[in-house]
Amino acid sequence: MDTTVIVADLAARLRSAGGPDGLWVSAADAQRVGGWELGPEGACQGSRCVPLPLGVVRDGLLDLAGLARYLGQPVVHDSTNDVWVIGESADDLREGLGSLEAPDFTLPDLEGRRHRLSDYRGAKVFLVTWASW
Amino acid sequence: MLTVAQDSRGAETAGEWIRAARPEHPALIDRTHRVAALYGMVNVPSSVWIDERGRLVRWGEVAFVDNRWQAYTKSDMEPYLAGLRDWVRRGAASPFALTPAELRRRLSGPSPEHALAAANFRMGQELHARGAAVDAVAYFKEAQRLHPENWRYKRQAWQLTDAERYYGTSFGAEVAKLGGRPYYPPLDLPSVE
Repeated sequence: MDTTVIVADLAARLRSAGGPDGLWVSAADAQRVGGWELGPEGACQGSRCVPLPLGVVRDGLLDLAGLARYLGQPVVHDSTNDVWVIGESADDLREGLGSLEAPDFTLPDLEGRRHRLSDYRGAKVFLVTWASW
Repeated sequence: MLTVAQDSRGAETAGEWIRAARPEHPALIDRTHRVAALYGMVNVPSSVWIDERGRLVRWGEVAFVDNRWQAYTKSDMEPYLAGLRDWVRRGAASPFALTPAELRRRLSGPSPEHALAAANFRMGQELHARGAAVDAVAYFKEAQRLHPENWRYKRQAWQLTDAERYYGTSFGAEVAKLGGRPYYPPLDLPSVE
């Protein structure tokens, strides 16, 4: 069965990753799913590099869940459906708003056209949420 | 103006409202509540004002177009809407444009429990979307437990699977539990002549 991994809201599928004690993925999948580039001194996600803690690398595989927990990110696993959710840490979310820069997102309208918030730079934006519920 | 529907069923539930409104602004659909997660919103409607450079100006306020929900908002929307128009005209010179210091004071960053609640809510949405609606309930309940002030976690879950049957509650019962406490945080606006 495929494993589904959702990192920062984006879902990706892996061919039977995981195991009882973690979310063990190849270096290629660590890059594809988590954006992690593995090097001899640690792992880098864009310009942010972290030393790898003990126990998250084994036989050339990386435990994405273990690394996320080490970084303070919430991890939720449903073994019945083999789905993992790796969320953003409270610190990262707080810093995102604390910069006073509006966090960016891309979403579709009813016709499927995609809109990116930052495409509206140059105009004032009144952003308002609603729901059918 | 950008509107964003926080609807796990997407166009299936939000579409009819958008079509009926015939909007002239972009009306976006957010199946995973991504915007609410990024901006720390716990209910709808919630608003954010963003200036031409992409900087926050006001954040996280209830925003209805009139006072028909005043029994819940306990806030008069007239001065809020007048403030919005004033900011559109005058930009940073408007008294409704918050200073960075005031804005930072109002930004209540999420706690680790809130971040974990968000991950549980996302799991519930994923399981529901793939047809495991009953499996999803436990994760929605965990999100509600970890972040009880978040009405999105309750109201969205109750729409997806029956509130009374799966959650043993109802919207009316939960609102009644508030006692005198506000359902929406009250608006904090400058007094302007």
